[in-house]
Amino acid sequence: MAAATCTLLEFQGTGKTFGAVRALEGVSLAFHAGECLGLIGHNGAGKSTLMQVLAGTLAPDQGAMLVGGQDLRHRYNVRLAREHGIRCVFQELSLCPNLSVAENTRLMCAGLAGWGWRARARRAIAEQLQAIFPGHGIHPDDIVADLPIGQRQMVEIARAFVCEGEPLQLVILDEPTSSLDAGVAAQLLRFVRRFVEGGGSIVLISHILGEMLSTCDRIAVMRDGKVVQVRPAADFTHTSLVECMGHAAKAAEEHRTFVSRRHGTPVVDTCPARQGDGQCVRAYPGEIVGLAGLAGHGQSQLLLQVLRQRVRGRQGVALVAGDRQSDGVFPLWSIAQNISVASLAQLRRGGLIDPGAERALANEWQARMGIRTPSMDQPIVALSGGNQQKALFARALATPHPLILMDDPMRGVDVGTKRDVYATLAAEAAKGRTFLWYTTELEELQYCDHVYVFRDGQAVLDVPRSELTEALILRGSFQEHSA
Amino acid sequence: MNASNPLPLAATQRPAPRERARLLRSALPGVSLAVLLVAIFIMQPRAMSYLGLNLMLNLAVPIALATMAQMLIITVNDLDLSLGSFISFVACVAATVLGPHPWLGSLALLGCIAVYAALGALVHGRNLPAIVVTLGMSFIWMGAAILLLPSPGGAAPAWLQGLVRIKTPLLPLAIFVCMGIALLMHAFLARSTLGVILRGAGGNPQAIGRRGWSLLRIKAGLYGLAGTFGVLSGLFLVGLTTSADANIALRYTLLSIAGVILGGGEFVGGRVSAVGAVLGALTLVLAGSLLSFLHISPDWQIGAQGAILILVLALRAGVNRLEARP
Amino acid sequence: MKAHSFRRVLLCTALSLAPWLAQAATADKTIALSNNYAGNAWRQNMLASWDATGKQAVKDGVVAQVDAFTTAENQATEQAAQIQNLILQGYNAIVVDAASPTALNGAIKQACDAGIVVVSFDGTVSEPCAYRISMNFKQSGVAQMDYLAQRFPQGANVLEVRGLAGVSVDELIHSGIVAGAQKYPQLKIVGTVNGNWSQTAAQKAVAGVLPSLPKVDAVVTQGDDGYGTAQAFSAAGRPTPVVIFGNREEELSWWKQQRDAHGYQSFSISSAPSISSLAFWVAQQVLDGKQFPHDLESPAATVTQETLDASLQGLPKGGIVSQPVSVDDLARLKPAATAAN
Repeated sequence: MAAATCTLLEFQGTGKTFGAVRALEGVSLAFHAGECLGLIGHNGAGKSTLMQVLAGTLAPDQGAMLVGGQDLRHRYNVRLAREHGIRCVFQELSLCPNLSVAENTRLMCAGLAGWGWRARARRAIAEQLQAIFPGHGIHPDDIVADLPIGQRQMVEIARAFVCEGEPLQLVILDEPTSSLDAGVAAQLLRFVRRFVEGGGSIVLISHILGEMLSTCDRIAVMRDGKVVQVRPAADFTHTSLVECMGHAAKAAEEHRTFVSRRHGTPVVDTCPARQGDGQCVRAYPGEIVGLAGLAGHGQSQLLLQVLRQRVRGRQGVALVAGDRQSDGVFPLWSIAQNISVASLAQLRRGGLIDPGAERALANEWQARMGIRTPSMDQPIVALSGGNQQKALFARALATPHPLILMDDPMRGVDVGTKRDVYATLAAEAAKGRTFLWYTTELEELQYCDHVYVFRDGQAVLDVPRSELTEALILRGSFQEHSA
Repeated sequence: MNASNPLPLAATQRPAPRERARLLRSALPGVSLAVLLVAIFIMQPRAMSYLGLNLMLNLAVPIALATMAQMLIITVNDLDLSLGSFISFVACVAATVLGPHPWLGSLALLGCIAVYAALGALVHGRNLPAIVVTLGMSFIWMGAAILLLPSPGGAAPAWLQGLVRIKTPLLPLAIFVCMGIALLMHAFLARSTLGVILRGAGGNPQAIGRRGWSLLRIKAGLYGLAGTFGVLSGLFLVGLTTSADANIALRYTLLSIAGVILGGGEFVGGRVSAVGAVLGALTLVLAGSLLSFLHISPDWQIGAQGAILILVLALRAGVNRLEARP
Repeated sequence: MKAHSFRRVLLCTALSLAPWLAQAATADKTIALSNNYAGNAWRQNMLASWDATGKQAVKDGVVAQVDAFTTAENQATEQAAQIQNLILQGYNAIVVDAASPTALNGAIKQACDAGIVVVSFDGTVSEPCAYRISMNFKQSGVAQMDYLAQRFPQGANVLEVRGLAGVSVDELIHSGIVAGAQKYPQLKIVGTVNGNWSQTAAQKAVAGVLPSLPKVDAVVTQGDDGYGTAQAFSAAGRPTPVVIFGNREEELSWWKQQRDAHGYQSFSISSAPSISSLAFWVAQQVLDGKQFPHDLESPAATVTQETLDASLQGLPKGGIVSQPVSVDDLARLKPAATAAN
């Protein structure tokens, strides 16, 4: 009990059930001032539930929540959490898209009231953005809907650190770097260290093991609603973390012998709209082609360009969207309907959808993708984020189309899901399907046969896997135009 | 994989075209109104006078008030299909009860506002589609109006008639009232912290709820406020017409929706503008005048009015596309 | 009421109606019609009559311009806005067939205040500054009962088909029927239905009530419902009673066919659509400085057994019995006995 550090809040045997599902079970975990606590686990492990309990948006139904030695479990809520300086940046953006950046700041800070609140809100958010993301390029009067997703995420994060007469002790960052490119993510992680060294407390949830290991002081590993390990970050390695989460880390670097598939007629041969030197992006049958580079440098535009060409030419194509909420799922539909919607032409019998065939298709892909759900007739929003993404993959793969476009689909997806998906991709490619894959994660490029690195809307590098190195890609992404 | 090397940031400058397009979009309602006014003044110079403006615009005040009511409902992604019959009902109350029994009449009107607030609570609490609830309510209001005033008639209280006919200096009362409504509501919705929360409830209700505000109270409050504007609209209308009729304002339902949309509002997402909505209402009213001055056959007028609406919306779509261009 | 003095005024007016005189005073005037509804045969006939009269008057140089405006949605607020636009356009007189007797009063008053002559007809307005021309609807109800009393001196069972509930015209005609029933106790009203001034609605309503009725000798109607009523009787296999008609072409054709087949006898009465032309001439004459009482009564158009063939002659399909109205017909206008408001 007599810890040297000051304990802000402590869970003791805390549990939470949703119907028959035990989302949390006997969680005991303390949050200290001046510490960055990492929380890791695959989707459905209970991280989000635990954080919602901490933020006061979910009421736990077992155990104790000690604040200053007092059990506040029964009256703990959002207001009380905020009174104790606990704030949360949720994975799903909680900004109001129709409001400006400053107005969204006001929503978070009750202290910004009375005359001149706008000016104060503007100043507060601008200062905070500057502190965390120097050179952010966001104006406080920008409407959130007009900002790209990365900048929205920056606003969301900066907003949580604005304090106008309100206590600020602990900030929960749930996948804060998922929409940020590497440079901005690094800025954030540096800020997290500064904040912690100043006596603040951070709970960091991330699937990027590297940033967890380098940023956190302690890491708690969760599995099936329980905290299975809490250790100083220094005691963990990449491999041991993954092992703890229950997904054996197979050495990904096994390096299959590389066979170029660059022959025959390319399925895709498209030059980016802003390309000056005639360099084109090509993809050959059976190839997985990666589009790399910093986020927002024209990769998505190229995918759209290809998509339009194919649709106009009535050639089959399927897209796996990155922004699940806005481009991907039909939230009111069941999982099965979400999967079958792209394949309706095959499921038609006499002008109507054949329900038997639809169910068969859904069940087949549930098995192939390992979608974890009691029934495919559940609404898709009942799935965890990773499983929703699996469903979107299933939707694209269930079509007979020879070309699949992927727009950074692994954003915020757990390691286990990723592995499942990578394996499926490789199998499908071996059958002759072509993949055009935009990814923000460098590790993923090793699954590609050929990589194009984008910068400023142009494909600046064109590398086969045999020549691919991380240094090469970073150089291509960041280097100024050589003379 | 977090590279710790200092990286140049992409897109640090606010893109200028985006800014320009947004300005254009917010200026669109004002510009279309100005174009319309100029066309009317050229066509009918007589309109460019105190009397002319008064004649063209005094019936615009109740429409502007109705548009404001509709806008408040649209703020939280709902639609009020009962507004026209509600305003008709208010007009009937004002023309029958309010004169001889001021207290009873006022009580009835306050009751109407309470019913509106209760509707908001019902729509949110039971998670019902507002369109269906208000469609049902439209029949209830209309039935109540017919019960109250089976055949056209009644008389608005003299003070009400006097109030809406005040001769203001320089410009007609209608213009001052419209400006007043627009500025007041703009200050409330766009400048006050409460307004930010109300609009936020339209943009991302979950976030507002998660932050600890009661969506029930927000919806009930907005509906109540909408009811208040509906009552004001009905009172103003009956003051102008001096007597009522159970279906005196039925067309206000669609006019008010069109006004909000013309004014730059959107059906979902809490994107509304009070100033735009008033301008939109005025545009609709003046479009009618213009068509009448053009001697367009009555059979074509309603179509031509629709064409003007589509034209303005097409312009907006164009501006939006301009905005989306990277 | 000093009716004889009014008559003298009217007589003087009629005598002074030399066309050249009118031409001199109103040749630069403009007149507009504000109409709220054009969706039935009567209104179409009314608009055609206005058009014909107006065109002729412009050609003759009596007035400078005559226009007609119809609102799209039959709503009072829309018509009020329309009238305000007409004021702005500087018309000297506005003739109104109003959507509501009261809801336009604000706009009508504005027109009067702007020095514009306002004449309302058919759907009249209660604003005192406007002129009102309408048929004596109550009298038309009484006239139907008069005819039946003469046809059935021994008494008869009468079915009443009424119009649209809650509309003033329906109330007025009904009150005439009631007055007639009091006047002739031998005529017994055995049933009342609402036919909504529509042949199909009337047929349905009458068919619905027939099984519960004793033998029906006669039916009083309000117009646009006589043919449907007769159809309901024949469909139910009941003997066709004496149906009073409303001057519609289909009604008169059916009557003629029945007469030719088995000597069917009846009577027909309705407001003439040419009342719009009367209103035009009243507006023109007021502009010319003539004095009129503000409440005027237009004559009803009637068709009897004798005039049936003549009335059907030249009546187009879907038409209504009417007669072209000239300025001289103003002499036939009587001040209304009681103001209709």
